[in-house]
Amino acid sequence: MPQTALDLDHICRNYGPVVAVDDVSLTVAKGEFVTLLGPSGAGKTSTLRLIGGFESIDSGAIGLNGGRVDHLPPYLRDTATIFQSGALFPHKTVAENVAFGLRMRRIAKADIAVRVAEALAVVRLQGLEDRYPDQLSGGQKQRVALARSMAVRPAILLFDEPLSALDLSLRLQLRSEIKRLHDEIGFSAIYVTHDQGEAMAMSDRVAVMRSGKIEQTDCPETVFNAAANEFIHTFVGETCCLTFRIEGGRGVDPATGTLDLHLAQPLPDGAYRLYLRPSQPSLGQAAQAMPNRVIARLGFVAFLGEKYRHHLMAGPCEIVGDQPGALTAESGADALIGWDSSAMRIFQ
Amino acid sequence: MTGPKRSRLAPWLLLTPAQILAVVFFGVPALYMARMSVNAHAPQSYFTPGFTFENYARLTHDPVIAGAIWNTIWLALIGSAVTIVLAYGFALIVWLKPARWRLWFIGLALLPLLISEIAIIFGWWMVFPRNGLLSVALMSSGLITDKISLTYTEGAALVGQVYITLPYCFFILLSVFDGLDRRVLEAALDLSAPPLTTLYEVLLPQTRAGLLAAFAQAFIWTMGTYATPMALGPDTLWTLGFLIQAQMLGKHHWPMAAALSMVLVVGVALVVLLTRWLQLQQRSFHV
Amino acid sequence: MSDALRAPRIGPRLLRAIAAVFTLSLVAYILIPVLVTLAMSFSGAAQLRFPIRSWSLGWYAEFAASPQWTGALINSLIIATGTAVMSSVAGVAAAYAYTRYTLRFSTLLYVLLMLPLFMPGIVLGLGVALTFSRFSIGGYSLLGSHLLVMIAHSLWAMPLVFLLMEAVFRMIDRRVIEAAQDLGCPPLRTFFEIEVPMISTGLISSLLFAFVISLNEFVMVLFLTDRDTQTLPVLMWLGLRSAATPQIAVASVVISLSVFACLSLIMVWYVRQLRKITR
Repeated sequence: MPQTALDLDHICRNYGPVVAVDDVSLTVAKGEFVTLLGPSGAGKTSTLRLIGGFESIDSGAIGLNGGRVDHLPPYLRDTATIFQSGALFPHKTVAENVAFGLRMRRIAKADIAVRVAEALAVVRLQGLEDRYPDQLSGGQKQRVALARSMAVRPAILLFDEPLSALDLSLRLQLRSEIKRLHDEIGFSAIYVTHDQGEAMAMSDRVAVMRSGKIEQTDCPETVFNAAANEFIHTFVGETCCLTFRIEGGRGVDPATGTLDLHLAQPLPDGAYRLYLRPSQPSLGQAAQAMPNRVIARLGFVAFLGEKYRHHLMAGPCEIVGDQPGALTAESGADALIGWDSSAMRIFQ
Repeated sequence: MTGPKRSRLAPWLLLTPAQILAVVFFGVPALYMARMSVNAHAPQSYFTPGFTFENYARLTHDPVIAGAIWNTIWLALIGSAVTIVLAYGFALIVWLKPARWRLWFIGLALLPLLISEIAIIFGWWMVFPRNGLLSVALMSSGLITDKISLTYTEGAALVGQVYITLPYCFFILLSVFDGLDRRVLEAALDLSAPPLTTLYEVLLPQTRAGLLAAFAQAFIWTMGTYATPMALGPDTLWTLGFLIQAQMLGKHHWPMAAALSMVLVVGVALVVLLTRWLQLQQRSFHV
Repeated sequence: MSDALRAPRIGPRLLRAIAAVFTLSLVAYILIPVLVTLAMSFSGAAQLRFPIRSWSLGWYAEFAASPQWTGALINSLIIATGTAVMSSVAGVAAAYAYTRYTLRFSTLLYVLLMLPLFMPGIVLGLGVALTFSRFSIGGYSLLGSHLLVMIAHSLWAMPLVFLLMEAVFRMIDRRVIEAAQDLGCPPLRTFFEIEVPMISTGLISSLLFAFVISLNEFVMVLFLTDRDTQTLPVLMWLGLRSAATPQIAVASVVISLSVFACLSLIMVWYVRQLRKITR
């Protein structure tokens, strides 16, 4: 038995002058859940459509369960896609929708009934077998789509932003449900999304894409904490940017000139950008103890429920800091921002 | 997906029946008609091959034909104008009425569209004569004392013609109104614009492109007609359509019939192009 | 101080009255020829005159008994059926190709397919009559045949089917088709099992619209039919030009009823589809 479910080997796809998928290589192990994360237009969905066979690759190779499939039409590839729109057959009932793929695989009638019931039980849709798609809510439709794809037990499940058309609470609920199903059943999957929260929460590994290329493939923690480049760092998670210069080995904030930096290794002179996540800076008194500091002007404070979000301006740069309590300083007053050296990322 | 060769061929195979229809049974006849229009004509046969512009020269020389061209344009202009006014009013009312009325009105407007032109002509044909519905109704209501006949008048032809073009214009204009925001109307009235000013300053400018399209539709349709003016209008109301069928079926003068058809085709093309041009003109002016 | 508002010269009440009169007149205008024809078809008199003094079904019986009228009706139905099939096959296939593939010269193609729709019937009829008058296939003359009329009618019906089906095909979510193939369904089977049910309402409407257009058309048929193939509208026209009797009213009612039967079929189908989905 091969251990890889899917193997993308340097695949490329152009649309005229546009390079949609540029030399993408990726392997998905059996039972692994891999997310393709990136902004719109990054080539995630294009990659998925190449795997499903809806578009053909210009070069490279696609392996599924150890066999090459890139010359096969979609109906001969053992993949199953969950589309953003659900793409349920509108004239078929829920049960008929789920049975469809099984019928195509010439499975015996009795077995089909068993597996349809099973799949609908797994997505908790028992009792809705005879409904038509028009009679379902958005969340139910996506559950049917999921059941329809899982019922055929494909070599790999392809999720094409399946939750992005749903509202927030439903999205969170279905997200954890897919996660639960993956833990229980252990299917292999590629999940396309532009929502980094979704990617972090569900994946074994995340592949971040930009302009048709995969820029980093790692487990969610690594992607979040040790992004390979500035783009990934800013795309994954909230972050604010402080621009500054190094002159004569010292950090200089161009606006206020009051940036204290303690660097592990000295940086050559030049312009830099420093990134902090909202949870990282200490504000006011607490900042005094920190090795890195900058003086900023307090803009406004927003109450977010479990924390207060402080918006501060360090020259032209807006820094956001979250704290359990609000600073007592008034808007417009100077406030010190401090942080640990391990908290910041600096890019040139 | 199944080999590049087949997928390039498949769409053209699918298009073949439609293309045969359009090319063999429309394109070829159109060219053949153009060729036929410059053939000569001898009394004994349908046509004699040749090359002459005599048929086209007759368009201006022959007073009957020149008159028919003017009749055609005149009827199309008046007919379309009347149609547009009625259709605009009707569409506006349907648009403003509550939705529960809507289906009834639409069904009503569909009626002339679904009934054969010949049945419509026949229906009106029974209304106008001395013993027709109109005359009898007016007599019995005491409005007139002597029976009157309105058949074979220009008015009767107009009544029949407008009846046929009305639904087309109505549906074009209704779809235009449906694209408008009704609150614009409320806003204008709220700002104390009197209804007529609202119509003139708010509604008309927004529906001008639709009006143009509806007018062109009615105009083209009326230009090609011949049965209605022939059956309901006076004997003098000869249109191009009437002459074409007279030349073809009566006089067996094929080249002349073809030449007259070419005039009709050119007329339709001119109206389409003019409408298109006016619409483009407007768009660049408004946006 | 707000500016003084003048009351409009035409008050809302007057406006409403004008609208009501206008609407009523228009309703009357549309209904008059229909009702007159319907009433006249039940007249017992030999002539078309008002008021109708005796009522009878005699003209209907006469219609049914006359081989000329029933023959014309049968011709009409044959031609309309042929037109419906011919224009639907051509129009649906073309619309499918047009929406599913990227074609070169697609604008040109569109214009070519749409052009006949803009042409007056008399021009189309004349062109086809002139061009094919001397053609015969195996001794079977094309002019005067049912086939040529079906083709001529398809010149109008096919572009309409194309327009309708193009919109229908565009409305289909492409992902649904892909989902079917993704689950292992080959293209041809996908078309028949997934797409055909999704476009069924459009298909039925296409067929019936083409049928109705052909049934009602009477300028082209005037050029293209002979004594044996003439349709109901032709016979009505000839009757109108010679000796008009209530017989024509009966024919009007018969042909209109056929049209309304088609329309009801579409409605029934549509309602059935709706009920299936929303129950």
